[in-house]
Amino acid sequence: MEEALLRIREVSKHFGGVYAVNEVNLDIREGGIWGLVGPNGSGKTTLFNTILGLYKPDHGAIYFNGKCISNLAPHDIYGEGVVNAFQLPRLFNRMNVLDNMLVAARGHQGDKCLHSLFWRKSWQKQEEGLIEEALDILRLVDLEKWAFSLAGELSGGQRKLLEVGRGLMAKPRLLLLDEPAAGINPVLGKSMFQKLKDFSCNGITFFIVEHRLEILFEFANWVYVMDRGRMVAQGEPHDVVDAPAFYEAYLGEG
Amino acid sequence: MLLYGLDFLVFVGIFGIVALSLNLEFGFAGLANFGKVAFFLVGAYTYAVLSQIGVPFYLCLITAAVIAAAFGFVISLPALRLRADYLAISVLAFGEILRLLIKAEHGIAGGVWGITVSPAISLAGVSYRVDLLVNIGLVYFCLLICFIVAQLLANSPYGRVMRAIREDEVAAEALGKDRAKYKAQIFMIGSAMAGLAGGLYAQYLQFIDPYMFMPMITFTVWMMVILGGPANNWGALLGAGLVEFFDRGANLAKDYLVLPVDPSNLQYILFGALIILVLFYRPQGLLKESPIKTKALELVRYGRGVVNNKPGK
Repeated sequence: MEEALLRIREVSKHFGGVYAVNEVNLDIREGGIWGLVGPNGSGKTTLFNTILGLYKPDHGAIYFNGKCISNLAPHDIYGEGVVNAFQLPRLFNRMNVLDNMLVAARGHQGDKCLHSLFWRKSWQKQEEGLIEEALDILRLVDLEKWAFSLAGELSGGQRKLLEVGRGLMAKPRLLLLDEPAAGINPVLGKSMFQKLKDFSCNGITFFIVEHRLEILFEFANWVYVMDRGRMVAQGEPHDVVDAPAFYEAYLGEG
Repeated sequence: MLLYGLDFLVFVGIFGIVALSLNLEFGFAGLANFGKVAFFLVGAYTYAVLSQIGVPFYLCLITAAVIAAAFGFVISLPALRLRADYLAISVLAFGEILRLLIKAEHGIAGGVWGITVSPAISLAGVSYRVDLLVNIGLVYFCLLICFIVAQLLANSPYGRVMRAIREDEVAAEALGKDRAKYKAQIFMIGSAMAGLAGGLYAQYLQFIDPYMFMPMITFTVWMMVILGGPANNWGALLGAGLVEFFDRGANLAKDYLVLPVDPSNLQYILFGALIILVLFYRPQGLLKESPIKTKALELVRYGRGVVNNKPGK
């Protein structure tokens, strides 16, 4: 079996007495769309935040590309190539849409203090290219027209789209999306997944939490099911819908 | 009257530098530095002590900035891990500790009696007016440098990261920006500017003592930034001019006005009213936040005509 891109081994995270994530094991191989489903409060977002380094796991370890990342700071985990789009968009509200995108750009020379002052030529050249990239992505998520509007003025769905676009701008190897289709109209939601599928052919692996199961199951290659902090089922989408654990998670026992 | 006007210009220049530095920290990066006067004090005393042992003035100024930056770095280590309000309290306390230390320790720089400073450029036999003009030249030269640095930083990808940290530091961190490093850098740059201004202040007044570095200085500079408009370097300068103007104006008016209240507090009453008015009717300050301008951005915005519609709700 080929080496997994993301390996999670026995990871637990508890808040007080509540085990939000309980001894979870999970493997994600390079390429494609990977789903994570489960009822509200089952620990999906906590698991994401643990992968991102926003929480430190209490037990267990997370490996990305063979390297242990569970003790790295969030910005170093970004450096390894893991990026996420938050469930509630955390945009830079008093900055315009294009600037929001450019913050996420990887390896921008001008991000460094002295570079930004004394080597302006070098990063200005680079910035032109980055702006083209950003506009291409904004076109994909239907926000190009609003490139120079403040992010704080966008509607709820547009904020969500910008959050996803910002994730793509960071050129990750693994992009975690937390409910990308929530609050977005059904047609756009579906076409967004179609576009993500195209991106996944270009070297980005997606790991997606989504409650709109019909869309996710249409596009995902593999789905994990969580319930009360535990991983209860996994498999290809058409197998998972038949799994008893999946029904139990959503509908309760009996 | 002319002398008074020139004196006013010097003060606007010096506090303009401090306002620019606070604008970098608070306006762009969202760091509530309520200990601004501490770095101003460090700069002033560094200048005073060095000039007494005969170091030339430009070296004194540079060293004042460097030492203040070093203090900024040291303070940033514990302070920047705190949340905004705790950061404010801890640097406020730091400023007071530093002031009281200087006041109590006579060995450092004259303690409570203060320390005299020789003027930077002394020309034999010139009038006070020429002396003032020389000072204005020096102060505004430094202001120009600080303004250029602040503008270049604000309109660069670095400025973009600063604003991102102000807006949402967790998101910025998740997008690969080491927030602790950025905050420490910004704190150092801001402190260096404040230190430079402190040096200029010491050499202009030719005498400093601990009572000149009360926390009121910090709050005056905050008023400048809030009035002028945070995250706008022109706004910081405008604020510096306005606050100085009101301060002086109120001081002059005191002698002529008959008021039902004690006129010695007139400027504080005015400032209070002014701040409330601005926060009510123009919370973004007199000048709005200036958007990031880089060459490439301008090209896209105006060259290619990307439509700038209002977003649909």
